[in-house]
Amino acid sequence: MVLELKKPRPLWEIIFSTHHTDIGLLYMITSLTAFAAGGALAMAIRTELFLPGLQEFSGQSDFARFFTVHGTTMLFLWAVPFAAGVGNYLVPIMVRYKDMAWPKLNAIAYWMIPPCFVLIWVGFSDMSWNAYPPYSILKAAGPAADMWIFALKILGISSILGSVNFMVTILKMRHPDLPLMKMPLFCWAVIATSAMIITSMPTFDAALIMMYTDRLGVTGFFNPDMGGDPIAYQHLFWFTFHPEVYIFFLPSIGMLYEIIPTFSRKPIFSYYSGVIALVVVAIIGFGSWAHHMFATGMTFTEKTVFMVGTLAAVPPSAMHVFNFMATMWGGRIKFAAPMLFGVGGIALFYASGAGGVVNTAIPLDFVTHDSYWVVGHFHLILMGTISLTFTGMVYYLFPLITGRMYNTSLAKLHFCLAMVGIILVFGVMHLEGLYGMPRRVSDYLPIAQLIIMNQIATTGAWIIGSSYVLFAINMIKSAMFGKLADPKDPFEMKTGKEYYYDYARKNPHH
Amino acid sequence: MGHSTSEWAFVLVVIALLIWVGAESWRVEHTLEFAPPNSETVRVIGQQWFWSFQHADGTQEVNELHLKANVPYRFEIVSNDVIHDFAVPDFAILMDAVPGRVNSLWNVFDKPGEYLIECREYCGQGHQQMRAKLFIEPNNNATAATGAGGSSAASTTGTQPSSAISQGTGLISVVKPGSNATVTQGTGLERVVKPPTITQNASSGSSNTTSAASTKTSAPAPSGPSVALSIPSGASTQGNPSYDPATLSIKKGDIVTVTNNDNAPHTVTSGSSATDPKNGKLFDSGLIMPGKSVKVNTASLAPGTYPFHCTVHTFMSGTLTVKA
Repeated sequence: MVLELKKPRPLWEIIFSTHHTDIGLLYMITSLTAFAAGGALAMAIRTELFLPGLQEFSGQSDFARFFTVHGTTMLFLWAVPFAAGVGNYLVPIMVRYKDMAWPKLNAIAYWMIPPCFVLIWVGFSDMSWNAYPPYSILKAAGPAADMWIFALKILGISSILGSVNFMVTILKMRHPDLPLMKMPLFCWAVIATSAMIITSMPTFDAALIMMYTDRLGVTGFFNPDMGGDPIAYQHLFWFTFHPEVYIFFLPSIGMLYEIIPTFSRKPIFSYYSGVIALVVVAIIGFGSWAHHMFATGMTFTEKTVFMVGTLAAVPPSAMHVFNFMATMWGGRIKFAAPMLFGVGGIALFYASGAGGVVNTAIPLDFVTHDSYWVVGHFHLILMGTISLTFTGMVYYLFPLITGRMYNTSLAKLHFCLAMVGIILVFGVMHLEGLYGMPRRVSDYLPIAQLIIMNQIATTGAWIIGSSYVLFAINMIKSAMFGKLADPKDPFEMKTGKEYYYDYARKNPHH
Repeated sequence: MGHSTSEWAFVLVVIALLIWVGAESWRVEHTLEFAPPNSETVRVIGQQWFWSFQHADGTQEVNELHLKANVPYRFEIVSNDVIHDFAVPDFAILMDAVPGRVNSLWNVFDKPGEYLIECREYCGQGHQQMRAKLFIEPNNNATAATGAGGSSAASTTGTQPSSAISQGTGLISVVKPGSNATVTQGTGLERVVKPPTITQNASSGSSNTTSAASTKTSAPAPSGPSVALSIPSGASTQGNPSYDPATLSIKKGDIVTVTNNDNAPHTVTSGSSATDPKNGKLFDSGLIMPGKSVKVNTASLAPGTYPFHCTVHTFMSGTLTVKA
């Protein structure tokens, strides 16, 4: 038990530790903080959109700063570090090694994140999370944009270092008695994610340097006045950030492979198809980046190629869903909070995946591009699937980390509210998009249908917000006063299987 | 573990569905991709933060686009500064305007009416106000001429004021010269641009006129002495001086000559911001293109202090003090 708030260890002992559980804990606390901060921005954004016209913002510019920082925070300070945190916590335990391969490198990778947090939040850039030139190189305001570039640059390096560490830990430090095809699927998800990060991230890091020198006026890679091409940036950007979708998504798949069999009290339906689907999607995920750019004037051939590439990524994802359902089928399911969040995430993944299949149809893109359809679609996967699964994982790890049990009824209330809120806000966003509501605007035309849809969505957002306030209260209060958990079987599954993370306690910190 | 038959069946069903989706969208996209050879070309220019349109015959419109129903149009979409996105949601038209590239799409508008054109790609401060109006006029047997009062206001070349809109490349719907056939417009389309109190500066060349700047109005002829107000170079970047002088003192009845020395279009519009109730009510120069100048008549203003701003760049503001 790492975080025993009744008997606190000195803060410096956690902060300067290189032990994988401590670093994992720091990662998770940082990312949950970012989730709360980014969520607060989302609340402000949704509140502004409750009515047409301007309520709380002075104009488009301030609003742009809010959605830029919201997006950047949620993607790079919540989704990626949280997955790294859980990986840190579980991977060494799962491969039965005393720590990560390079503990100090691990600590360095973590400690790159807080400065980026500060850079992004102090700068409060306004160029949206994808920072398309020429706006970002010619028009975006002063130090904010530069701070954003540096923060993303450092975050890129941090995630590459973390990924290298994971790869080496899993492939080289694995216990000799543990063959690759016997290790938990979560480790396979971490391998796939790390391989994707190592392959894709350098491209964006290069693009950031090019963008920065463009901003300085030294070069003109993306500046059309100097012979550059803004579309080149979009290719570099999406070559990193379409795979990044899977970098967010595969860890949550890995977590579901932990949660679903445990609470179904049944082994995984098909281990092999899980491995195959993870590896295949890690490869195919690189073949579809330009489907984000159908509307930038691509040729017909390009559009066809990337449509096929996008469609090809669907079957592996469908295999995961089938695997989850077949695992639950006939199992004695216990709907504890982690399982609720896991099943909720799968259900919403089915919805967002169906939307994704529809999105591949090129002609539809010219209706939905940069509309609220897109916003609804990717939030449905990022909030609906990824964040819900991550939340479930927090509940799942809570007894291990604190040695105490969370308040189960509060957790169930949290789930119900979050689920209702998510369906309201992101389901309605799809409709708004088809109705022609553009994204990234603080003001919209006062049409009755748009107003009512935005009000439903805003109400949903408030419900999500309040559910996560409950979550925060539950976590803090239960960590201090919760009832002590049975370390062998905290969820009272009575399967006879030990809650195997008990291993973590056997290793002293160093 | 695992029962591979059911899983294979599931995956094959998914793949079959995907192939169907892919094939169908390929077929549709193939139709959408290639414009019919007789389509008229309209050039769409996106710029922070307004749209301008150039018809095949050289006429220009700003923030208003007049097209005819049932005629195939091919849009060439370009941008002058950052990436914009030309979108007409009602017709499912959407294409990025990328600086340095010419993107195209085509469409046949089948329902007359007034529609919204908006920018879908975040392009900075004025992004959400970057809207324009699309007017689709009924097209009777391809002999439609534009309404009598309409074309002179919306687009003027100075040579063919009564039939400016619909002259394409000659393949379709050529307007008979001198024909007074006006369309019976049951939709109540109002094409007359509200006459602002401005007069055209003589220095504006006819080849480069825009609807706002070229509108001859019934404003009284300039009478009072002229006072200069200039928009310095670089004003379109926030933080730089917007107007020179920032506070302009005039006598009632003076003519303010606004000269735009910047490389972006600007306006001088009454009111402190777009939400000000006096926005554009007291005086409005309309768009002043780079290098052009426009005269604003202040004869109707009572003595007092009037804030003004630029509708394109809402951060630009100045003050006009009128003395008796």
